[in-house]
Amino acid sequence: MSAAPAEMKEHAEANAKWLDAHYDPVANLYTFSPCIALADLQGDGESKLVVGDLGTGLCSMKLKVYRGTSLMSENTLLDLPTGLVSFHMDQHEPRTPAIAVASGPFIYVYKNLRPYFKFTLPSLEVNPLEQEVWSQAKEDMIDPMSLKEMLEGIRDKADIPLSVRSLKFLILDPKEMEAFVNLHKQQPIRRQTVITCISTLKKNMADEDAVSCLVIGTESKDVYILDPEAFTILSKMSLPSAPTLMDVTGQFDVEFRITVACRNGNIYVLRRESPKPKYCIELTSHPVGLVRVGKNVVVGCAQETLQGYTQKGKKLWTVYLPAPITAMGLMDHHSRGFQAVLVGLANSEVHLYRDKNLISTIKTPDVITSICFGRYGREEGTLIMTTKGGGLMVKILKRTAVFEDRDMAPGPPLAQSIRLNVPKKTKLYVDQTMRERENAVAMHRAFQMDLSRLRLAVARAYVKALESSLTPVSASLSDPLKMNAVVQGLGPSFKLTLNIQNTAVCRPVMNLAVSFLYDEALYSMRNAFFQIPLLVPGLNYPINTFVECLTDKGISDIIKVFVLREGKSAPLLTAHINMPVSEGLALN
Amino acid sequence: MGLFDKLAGWLGLKKKEVNVLCLGLDNSGKTTIINQLKPSNAQTQDIVPTIGFSIEKFKTSSLSFTVFDMSGQGRYRNLWEHYYKEGQAIIFVIDSGDKLRMVVAKEELDTLLNHPDIKHRRMPILFFANKMDLREALSSVKVSQLLCLENIKDKPWHICASDAVKGEGLQEGVDWLQDQIRTIRT
Ligand SMILES: Nc1nc2c(ncn2[C@@H]2O[C@H](COP(=O)(O)OP(=O)(O)OP(=O)(O)O)[C@@H](O)[C@H]2O)c(=O)[nH]1
Ligand SMILES: [Mg+2]
Repeated sequence: MSAAPAEMKEHAEANAKWLDAHYDPVANLYTFSPCIALADLQGDGESKLVVGDLGTGLCSMKLKVYRGTSLMSENTLLDLPTGLVSFHMDQHEPRTPAIAVASGPFIYVYKNLRPYFKFTLPSLEVNPLEQEVWSQAKEDMIDPMSLKEMLEGIRDKADIPLSVRSLKFLILDPKEMEAFVNLHKQQPIRRQTVITCISTLKKNMADEDAVSCLVIGTESKDVYILDPEAFTILSKMSLPSAPTLMDVTGQFDVEFRITVACRNGNIYVLRRESPKPKYCIELTSHPVGLVRVGKNVVVGCAQETLQGYTQKGKKLWTVYLPAPITAMGLMDHHSRGFQAVLVGLANSEVHLYRDKNLISTIKTPDVITSICFGRYGREEGTLIMTTKGGGLMVKILKRTAVFEDRDMAPGPPLAQSIRLNVPKKTKLYVDQTMRERENAVAMHRAFQMDLSRLRLAVARAYVKALESSLTPVSASLSDPLKMNAVVQGLGPSFKLTLNIQNTAVCRPVMNLAVSFLYDEALYSMRNAFFQIPLLVPGLNYPINTFVECLTDKGISDIIKVFVLREGKSAPLLTAHINMPVSEGLALN
Repeated sequence: MGLFDKLAGWLGLKKKEVNVLCLGLDNSGKTTIINQLKPSNAQTQDIVPTIGFSIEKFKTSSLSFTVFDMSGQGRYRNLWEHYYKEGQAIIFVIDSGDKLRMVVAKEELDTLLNHPDIKHRRMPILFFANKMDLREALSSVKVSQLLCLENIKDKPWHICASDAVKGEGLQEGVDWLQDQIRTIRT
């Protein structure tokens, strides 16, 4: 029950920022963030949603285009799409972007939603031994069993891996081998790799609609940059591991930076003019999402964390998430100059982070699998999400929405993350630290001994004070009293007020007297001894008396006050009054 | 008003002036509608997205309208409220083919109706469910449902389906508006 108001508040918070423009839970759309893009495909000022639909993973893979709330067109894809980008191939008017869909070793380029060009990755070098073995098989010089043995030998030793054909052959039943060899032996062996990720890189201008090169990462651990019009390979770079996620920034002809997350759990940064990675970030768990915000990279990791790095690989922060990440995307609102990272989570929430601060949370009816923010239709601030159940959801950022910079997640206060200007270690500090490290036990013992002594001394003093009633609070249970004294005046006449209180619950105290002890050379008192009236419990009795200071030498002394019981010599209470120096002039 | 003007008014020589605000999202067809209502010799051929706002005039049988044709683009929508005080009636245009942004139109309408300069005034509101010629256009009934127009209790309102390019449905709306203004004024 107690969670309800908080939940409502959260709901209201999300409602204050986003309008629910569309939700079709059965849109039959199955995709992930790399396969979704927004583009003004027809140059009519209305952005469309382009999706590479994975279908069931085996069939009904499609390239779908949505306009507003409805599906506008569908093209069948032959194989699973691994990535999709929209890019400007040329300067032709009208400036409509093309769509590139990466799938297997191919890139299918669509213009005006019609197939336009198919790019095929260059085939890889085939192992000469493998080639040799197959050519023997072709001449029927070896039987399938010995072919198998030889291929297995090559597979286990060679630097150049076997082709897909040989690998397929090796998993066959002995019965099927013969037919397989006869079917394939005539064709040359080819070794192909596949595309794992795709992105774009502006050629030589920074404009939004500038001509862009395609950048692709492959299973063979390479990154290729393709010419936008001719689709020739402009540049090839190698990585230590297969890339899975990629972010590209800059311009090909000027300076660029490709940030790639790889399957070995590292992130590499490639630069222009360097065929090898320039920087490396070693993550503690596998990267599942990669988003660049300005000059920093935000990485979503498999261990439910979000980490911020500088472009040189220096770690800035880590945020712990409540659930595994299912999708990540950049929220870049140009006209407001607002950038943040969208993180879809397995608990059906979408979190919005600006740096390490959680600034907004959206609850979704289903777990989202892809997320994309940008201009859709005529609305600049549109958030598009597809769900695990195949749903399509569109939200529009309200014109009046404001995001506070403050972190909404409970946690340490902001001040904690402010760096203190800690001074450098001095020689003295280092020496002392060394000494402490070497003599830790002796120092601890000495400290403990002194501490015990101190305690003993304190206890002794306390007992002594109690025994001789030197305290302003009486220790005797029969007469529980409390007293404090106040001195007023500048001198030479002072007024002394003793506040005496009986702290018993209900018993009055009688037969008490007050006596003062002082240096008679310095002070004189009209009345240094008097009786105290009956003390009713709880009430405060102020008792006034006057002291005359006799000296004008600017010295002062202590006046002791004793509360006495009739017939007893030991006082019940003692108070020491530190007299102030007399500042007034004696009149005589 | 000078004596002559008053006299002219009584005699029906001079028409009453009304200020109308023309509001709605960008690309809904506001400028196209106003253009159609202007006398044919004052109409323009090419209509471009409005920047900021523009002031247009047209006349009906008994009234002389001054229309503030506001830009509907997001970055100009905060200009609208500066003209609320001057307006005596509102024309609110909706692109009935833009289902996606119906929520945005509703949001802007709600903000408008809750504005202190509008909230307690009995000013007539004319809605045009424009672009009815589009294949995917929603009916005016559907549009009024999506915008929850039935919740407007303290202002006279009316919705017409229209096709501003051909000029269909506009006259019906303007006639209604003219009647409303006359009943309020007299
Ligand atoms: N099919 C169709 N198109 C229309 C209709 N009304 C307007 N349009 C078109 O919609 C586009 C936008 O019209 P505008 O009148 O400029 O829209 P606006 O509301 O003034 O837009 P802003 O000035 O940007 O706020 C133009 O291309 C018009 O031709 C209509 O009834 N049907
Ligand atoms: Mg306009």
